[in-house]
Amino acid sequence: MSDLAPIADPSVPASVTRIKVPRRLFSTIEGVFNEEVFFLILCVFIGIFSGLAVVCFRLAIDWTHLALLGPLPQSHSWRLFVVPSVAGLVVAVLVIHVFPGIRGSGVNQTKSALYIFNGFIPFRTAVGKFICAGIAIGSGQSLGPEDPSLQIGAGIASALGRQLEISREKLRLMAPVGAAAGLAAAFNAPISAVLFVIEEVIGRWSAGILGSVVLSAVASVVVVRSFLGSEPLFRIPLTTFKRPSELLAYAVLGLVGGLASVVFAKSVGYLRPRLKALPRWTHYFQPSVAGLLVGFIGFLGFPQVMGAGYDSMDQAMHGQYAWKILAMLALLKIIATTVSFVSGTPGGMFAPTLFVGAMLGGAVGDLERFYFPHLTGSTGTYVLVGMGVLFAGFLRVPMTSVFMVLEVSGNYEIIVPVIVANTFAYVVSRWLQPVPIFDLLTRQDGLILPSLEEEREETILRVEDAMLPVPTVILSAQDYVDANFHRVESSAEAAFLVRMHPSGWSTITREQLQRLYREGKGELTLASVLPAQSLPSLYPDLPLDSALRYVNDYPLIPVVNRADSKHLEGMVSRESVFKKYERRPEIEVSS
Amino acid sequence: MSWKVPKLIPRSAPMILLVLTLAAASGFAAVSHLVTRYTLNQQARGRKLYALGLTYANAGNYNEAINVFRAALTCDPTNSQYQLSLARALRDSNDPQRLDEAESYLLALWQRAPQDASVNLALARVAAHRGSIEDAIRYYHNAMYGVWDSDPDGNRNRARIELIQFLIKENAHAQADSELIALAAALPRDPAAHLQAARLFEQAQDYNGALAQYEEVLRLDPGNDDALSGAGETAYRAGNYVSAQHYLRSAVSVSPNDVQSRQLLASADLVLRSNPFHSHISDAERNRRITAAFDQAEDRLISCAEQAGIDLNATDSPSPSPLVGLQARWLLAKPDLALLRSPAETDLPDAIMDVVFQIEQQTSTTCGSPQGLDLALLLISHKRETLSQ
Repeated sequence: MSDLAPIADPSVPASVTRIKVPRRLFSTIEGVFNEEVFFLILCVFIGIFSGLAVVCFRLAIDWTHLALLGPLPQSHSWRLFVVPSVAGLVVAVLVIHVFPGIRGSGVNQTKSALYIFNGFIPFRTAVGKFICAGIAIGSGQSLGPEDPSLQIGAGIASALGRQLEISREKLRLMAPVGAAAGLAAAFNAPISAVLFVIEEVIGRWSAGILGSVVLSAVASVVVVRSFLGSEPLFRIPLTTFKRPSELLAYAVLGLVGGLASVVFAKSVGYLRPRLKALPRWTHYFQPSVAGLLVGFIGFLGFPQVMGAGYDSMDQAMHGQYAWKILAMLALLKIIATTVSFVSGTPGGMFAPTLFVGAMLGGAVGDLERFYFPHLTGSTGTYVLVGMGVLFAGFLRVPMTSVFMVLEVSGNYEIIVPVIVANTFAYVVSRWLQPVPIFDLLTRQDGLILPSLEEEREETILRVEDAMLPVPTVILSAQDYVDANFHRVESSAEAAFLVRMHPSGWSTITREQLQRLYREGKGELTLASVLPAQSLPSLYPDLPLDSALRYVNDYPLIPVVNRADSKHLEGMVSRESVFKKYERRPEIEVSS
Repeated sequence: MSWKVPKLIPRSAPMILLVLTLAAASGFAAVSHLVTRYTLNQQARGRKLYALGLTYANAGNYNEAINVFRAALTCDPTNSQYQLSLARALRDSNDPQRLDEAESYLLALWQRAPQDASVNLALARVAAHRGSIEDAIRYYHNAMYGVWDSDPDGNRNRARIELIQFLIKENAHAQADSELIALAAALPRDPAAHLQAARLFEQAQDYNGALAQYEEVLRLDPGNDDALSGAGETAYRAGNYVSAQHYLRSAVSVSPNDVQSRQLLASADLVLRSNPFHSHISDAERNRRITAAFDQAEDRLISCAEQAGIDLNATDSPSPSPLVGLQARWLLAKPDLALLRSPAETDLPDAIMDVVFQIEQQTSTTCGSPQGLDLALLLISHKRETLSQ
């Protein structure tokens, strides 16, 4: 069964077809609000509702945690492995019988809503994520609340959009808008949430999209802060970066983080399909066994790996653990999160990713400082940089990873170490694990969603790639037809560019010129017989796709210089453009 | 199974906005109620945990206290009192790795209330744990001039005393002395307070300051035996043997079992009886003291050489002991003793006593602290050096 709810839910196609555009709504509000303005207002409400939902979600997790594990779980307590395993059983029953669509990543489900299901996310999925993720994370499964928050936001937005019967185009955008609101509320970091949704879910920038996503993210953060205060997730210690030579230490952290990301991603990628392929009855017990394993790790003396782990990250940031403990915690968290996630327990991997990065950063930093005592960066600095490293390497969102660290720390002094370390982690991870984790999960579910990383990395064909050199014969619109006819006689070309006066370009074929000559129009200037409207011009740096709009209408299209439109750089023809596309290797769309 | 949400929202834009606004307002009210109840519940739980944490902390069980304070903070994360107590427990747990976290909590509190004396005092103690004199002085001063909830004068004095003790421990005697002068100026008319100040002056090796404080105690409480013995001892250490004799004599008469005062008194008496540079003695007495000192120096030289296994006659050794050279100087000066009575030889007493002082100083280095007359001569030599400096 796919993890993506709409495929499994037979009601989905029917729901999608209910959306009809344009709807009565906008005819009734015509003259008061146009659709764009109304949509932006709607985004604010989405932010508010998502913020409220995330506040409740966080309370639910905290309450569950307190009720089941107590305020501060201690190792060697029987509760540590009994609670997550029993809760895992409850979650499994709920997932299989009540909320079958909530398995898997909320990010991918939001992407599916955007690209496949016309913005449709079942409201039941949002409710299911709330309940099941609340139980799972509260009981100590090694998962984070951000991904469910993201999906709760997306689910609320989608439900609201369907209620209001807005246009299909806007409805598609509703899910990412809600996702940004949910993520911003969960992280208390609106910039990172906006960037993540743009970078990983939507994949394109436009004023409208950015405005709507920003509005919803800011609204949700305001709501969350009004209830839960504006305290950051961590108490940020003094972070320092004094000598450029220390960048080497951060580069090493990036390399180690990249390798850890690959191990993490490959573990998830290897185990997930195998566990899903096991007989159905085992699915009832997989979350329970995962909970037992995670609880056992806690029982043995590492309760820090249970739950989201923000408190432990905070302590690591303040030098509470020696490097060996930090390294051990990073390794155990990878194991715990992998088993929790692949067992189908609902929950996200944002917080575990930050946890692994924090511990790894602290361990590498402490070790480096042991051998090179002149390094000035504190443990807290390495922990913060480490968080970004895993974000870049595992989740493969390089831009978000940088801004997330800056936003969480509120310190721009470490921007250079963060960029250096994240770049190394991203490159190493991309080299050893070409398919990003979100794409991997999607493909395992049998879906083909656009890989935004591949799109980012894809080489774009530009006009200059298909550009023909400046022709030897360029006709002038002020010359007579017969003079131009004689000029082209010695040329083998079938079509020619014509320079118009005072500016602009036109085109004429040899055949047209011959016909004009035969019809006795040799005494006329070319300007009098050609259409008054100039040819569209292209610039060398434009995507080649932009030439496709014109190649069927005109035999030649001039390519001119951006600084001087009279200066001809070359030209493109239908053949030259098509030839370039033919030469292009096929884009791989399946794993 | 599919959940179908009924169409609830009307189809007019103003109505839609109205409905959404009402829904948002209702949501706010509901969530606000929920959060308030949850917060109250958590705060009650936090208070219980905090009380337990304080019990652990007061019993010196800092590891348990830290765990419980952390749990209290998970219930009420912004509670300054919990943060302060956790920071204190982290600091007092004697785990250097926990100082960073303690400091982080305290700095967060300090940013919120930089005038809070308790927070500044806690930060000062963290700096003191780290041995950071500059930071400690800054935070202790902030605490002294900050806002105290109760007994501001008493708390300020206590904070200054703590700072002085820290500075003495770090051998920052000059800075400690500055703080002591400020402390002395603000002390109430309380013998106990002056006695404490006197002892701190003594630890900071400012014996004159200490003597002044002991004398202040004796003005307020003339029969205070601690002040008498303290004044005697500090006067002795300061080289003021006349005052030392006076106070130590009183101390011994008040507390006949005070062995240390008795020993110091004996030593002071000997110094006063043996000092040839005393201004109120006759020439004959001065010459007698110089001769006695010269003879004592020879005895000390010989006994020390024997104790150290040094042959004072081994003058041709490639690396002769300093004692060998001193014996030569002593032998060279011996004929000068006969010239002491000559009025023309005004520099001779100094020259002879210089040999005596060098012998006493060198033998104390080679053979350890002397006793009796040798100790008196050594003390006289130190006093002479101090005066000449």
